[in-house]
Amino acid sequence: MSRLVKVYVVDNGGQWTHRIWRVLREVGCDSKIIPNTTAVGAIDADALVLSGGAPRVVWESPKLGNCIDYFERFQGPILGECLGMQLMAIHFGGKAGPSEIPEYGLSRLRVIEEDDLFKGLPKEFLVWESHNDEVKEAPNFTVLALSENCRIQAVKHWHKPLYGVQFHPEVNNTEHGEEILRNFVGTVKLEQ
Amino acid sequence: MFDAEKFIQEKVRELRDRIRGGAIIGASGGVDSTSSAILVNRAIGESLLCVLVDTGYMRKNETETNERLLKKLGLNVLVVDAKKRFYDKLSGVVDPEQKRKIIGELFIRIFEEIARKENARFFVQGTIAPDWIESGGGLRDRIKSHHNVGGLPEKIEFEIVEPLRDLYKDEVRIVGKALGLPSELYERQPFPGPGLAVRIVGEATAENARIVREACAIVEEEIEKAVAKGEMSKPWQYFAVLLPCKAVGVHGDVRVYGRVVVVRSVESLDGMSAAYSKIPHEVLERISVRISNTLKDDVSRVVFDVTNKPPGTIEYE
Repeated sequence: MSRLVKVYVVDNGGQWTHRIWRVLREVGCDSKIIPNTTAVGAIDADALVLSGGAPRVVWESPKLGNCIDYFERFQGPILGECLGMQLMAIHFGGKAGPSEIPEYGLSRLRVIEEDDLFKGLPKEFLVWESHNDEVKEAPNFTVLALSENCRIQAVKHWHKPLYGVQFHPEVNNTEHGEEILRNFVGTVKLEQ
Repeated sequence: MFDAEKFIQEKVRELRDRIRGGAIIGASGGVDSTSSAILVNRAIGESLLCVLVDTGYMRKNETETNERLLKKLGLNVLVVDAKKRFYDKLSGVVDPEQKRKIIGELFIRIFEEIARKENARFFVQGTIAPDWIESGGGLRDRIKSHHNVGGLPEKIEFEIVEPLRDLYKDEVRIVGKALGLPSELYERQPFPGPGLAVRIVGEATAENARIVREACAIVEEEIEKAVAKGEMSKPWQYFAVLLPCKAVGVHGDVRVYGRVVVVRSVESLDGMSAAYSKIPHEVLERISVRISNTLKDDVSRVVFDVTNKPPGTIEYE
């Protein structure tokens, strides 16, 4: 493929939205940050990453713009991060809400299933978190990873190219974060 | 990967097209504002004036050192002593956001006064990505009002130019190096715009500034000595914080009741996340002993902060 893979970052108001954009550029993508109110028809990307953000998933989802529309109509892989994954789980019949024990900063990830995102990575490594809410149930998804205080740290949809992570691969302190995003970008190429 | 040469070329061209007439820059001597100054200087040359404000919350000998460094780079420098104005405005203020806003506004008023005198319509500042990200806006929550973004007053007389707005600290360092800054400048640890005022939890009086300035100097010196001796690697940022509470101690068989100083040191790439530094206990002990002995009349206890970001932030306010 001669042109760069286009992966846009949908901004849900996260502290690390800009970092996702930066890491995507570093792994060789053409990337830009777009508001979550962008109409799906106006997006010419091959894949999307939905950022996390301050809104609480249960009672502030109107703040998440057209994200739901992207799940239904965007043609290509989507990676939902944090709030982005929570919204994805709810949209496909799952549940999300306040964590009994939230995680801030350091946490240890345990990979259950390698799938695409964790291809070639160790079974356990350190990741950086920052969440008050979490996914409680995710029917239609395979759970790929967990941590001590959060049972659903990463998911993959059974039939669609939809992925979710609760932790933050774009954060420099997360081990193998760049590789996870590179693996996600790799799913674009697989499709073409 | 980030291409510094290309960035510099494009920015200088853009700045040359945009800035007409004179400009001033709020310079702190840090890598962000100094790199911005050099970029603008390349674009418009002599028409740029670097304004170095002594807020009263500078580190030990910092104003003198910075003035010398900037002049050595061939920049026009004006030092403004505004210590009294800052102390007066912050008198009795303890809320961290209010402190930041007062500082942000006073900075702008001072720059406006200079701009008027110099007939400059453009005001350059060394804003980088974390400053506007953490200042919030739209969907994004405000973590803290950075003095150059969220702390700005609504009405401003000049046009603001921010050449490094989309870069992170590590990218700015690469730009600084490519611009020919000395390593003591582009490798310099970050220092917040509001200075020591946000390292004093509570009222930022001249007296509190004196205490935290001395404690910060000790932390910097001891850590730099330990780095030079190979006892540890250089942290991303390292400093002291003065807490508004007191603790009991004993000095020479006499009861004392003094302030608590925090030693804070973190490892980071860009300041958007951080892990606390695993400093050897021998180094921490030297810092503790020296702070307690040097600041015996003010401080009775020294503690070490073991909070990452998140959940903490690097600075305290």
